[in-house]
Amino acid sequence: MDDRSIRGDLIAGNKTLKDVTNDIMRPIESAAPKWWFIAMVISILALLWGIYAMYLTVRYGIGMWNLNNSVGWGWDIINFVWWIGIGHAGTAFSIFLLVLRQKWRTSINRAAEAMTVFAVICAGLFPTLHMGRVWNAFFMLPYPNTRGPLWVNYNSPLFWDFTAISSYLIISASFWYLGMLPDFGTIRDRTTSKIKKAIYGFFSMGWTGSSQHWQRFEAMSFILSGLAAVLVVSVHSIVSTDFASSVIPGWHTTLFPPYFVVGAIFSGFAMVMTLMILIRVLYKLHDYITDSHLQATAKILTFVSLIMGTSYLTEIFIAWYSGNEYEIFTFFHNRITGNFAPQFWIMFTCNAIIPQLFWIKKVRNNLAMLFLISIIINIGMWFERFNIIVTSLANDYLPSSWAEYSPSLVEVGVFVGTIGMFAVGILLFFRYIPMMAISELKTVLHTDDNTVEKETGQKTAEI
Amino acid sequence: MSTRKYMGIFNKEEAFEKAVQYFSDSHVAIEEIYAPIPVHKAVKNVAGSSGLPVLAYFLGIFSLLAILSFLYYTAAVDWPLNIGGKPSDSFPSFIVVTIVLTILLVTVFSLLAFSVSARLYPGKKAVIMHNRAMDDKFIIVLNSDKVSQAENKLRQLGADEVILYDPKHE
Repeated sequence: MDDRSIRGDLIAGNKTLKDVTNDIMRPIESAAPKWWFIAMVISILALLWGIYAMYLTVRYGIGMWNLNNSVGWGWDIINFVWWIGIGHAGTAFSIFLLVLRQKWRTSINRAAEAMTVFAVICAGLFPTLHMGRVWNAFFMLPYPNTRGPLWVNYNSPLFWDFTAISSYLIISASFWYLGMLPDFGTIRDRTTSKIKKAIYGFFSMGWTGSSQHWQRFEAMSFILSGLAAVLVVSVHSIVSTDFASSVIPGWHTTLFPPYFVVGAIFSGFAMVMTLMILIRVLYKLHDYITDSHLQATAKILTFVSLIMGTSYLTEIFIAWYSGNEYEIFTFFHNRITGNFAPQFWIMFTCNAIIPQLFWIKKVRNNLAMLFLISIIINIGMWFERFNIIVTSLANDYLPSSWAEYSPSLVEVGVFVGTIGMFAVGILLFFRYIPMMAISELKTVLHTDDNTVEKETGQKTAEI
Repeated sequence: MSTRKYMGIFNKEEAFEKAVQYFSDSHVAIEEIYAPIPVHKAVKNVAGSSGLPVLAYFLGIFSLLAILSFLYYTAAVDWPLNIGGKPSDSFPSFIVVTIVLTILLVTVFSLLAFSVSARLYPGKKAVIMHNRAMDDKFIIVLNSDKVSQAENKLRQLGADEVILYDPKHE
């Protein structure tokens, strides 16, 4: 299926099936390295700050944040969109590449899906907290209630968002879990610890690798990927309609859905790149995450970065071409020049210009550069959301309602808390779940041993 | 009825696949095969193809109709709200929720169907044939009663090891 002349070996080092199992299981079977504990402590501290900030938010209300009448959406919604964007790549990676039968996905999809699940959980926290009275969050559900019955408003993008994100979380988590069944079976069969055997045995749901299991498993994977492929496009389009269906200058544009989807894939792929490099270096898995994998991801990032640049320029062009003075003000006097120029130019440089360095082969082959640029892209994507949300709200139609905005420590705390939560999730994932889909990796091993085939052929003829 | 079974253990995927093909071509009933990876041809030979995609398709149609009816009932029949003078049954804006919830319902029901048809559920105790069946061994199980000279055939087809086992004694 895959042409080795294009991408080389997907798994280097002439591995056997046994080698693959041993290599991927090593992090789970051996004691956790020192850096893991240090990273865990730092992440938990960040998470604790976050929990405290969330406690203050719920206890005293969102007055603890620096939002005001004009800037009603601040870091909360920026971070929400940022996390959702990151949460896109897992599904984009596993599913688009599965549908397109790109076999190089096998080394990466598990980590990308893990990232998706944790990022979507982080994302979901922000709108929930922004409700203020979080204990009433279930009002979002359409259920017969004693308040009317008053059903929810199906015309509102905010409700679409709620359905899209909760569905996305359920479906991506199911897809992730389904893929882990065979690997849990592998751990269960290998481990000598009774506790591990019981736990992984429970979660492997009785997996044996029989034809009955594999047949249903493959069918189910394709059903889920087909369904979730639609969600990858729909979730972030829906997030963009939260903005696009309003009348705020800079938001009211038909470009938003594709622009948001591409942006999400961009930030998600960058985060996947960050994680891949970490896994490769920290666990010495360079046979599985080869230069070719990183090159392929870098090339996708270069291309997507061009689309991002085009989107930014299109927005600016349309603002000028529409002749609408508010749009012109927002883009030319507010973002490009003016109060928010630094944030605009950070966004533009990080997302549209710096990733173009990937055209140079030396940069693509340099692990440190790849890592640095992947981080830069995610910083840039954060500033993109800042640009969209804060610049438009802070200076809208009426100069009398213009307002300044900077986050309070509580807002920063919630953000740092979600980063901590994400990191804790990823660290637990590194430690307790095979980082790569073992059974899928085995399908892309190139066996050069053709002699067996010939021998068997003869034997078959003899019988 | 005897339950003596022969387990042919293969180290190589290719030999395993050919052997399954051979048994299938000569209409020999294979009890079951076990492999650490989905060997497509072999799986198809033994288990056929899955009905799950067709089921998912019909689940999709059912979910679509169910959700559209639910939206119509709640928004236009049960408690119509005047939202900016728009019609209660504002169909085009129902599309998004319909698509997303259809996907959700199909996923949930397909997963249930998967669990039932593959007989996989949390906490189920696995019947492990071979400790390395999910590691690096490919296994064909034949019932010695139904297949004459099962052991010889397995060996001739390239099995690296053939084990006779009696499930009753396990």
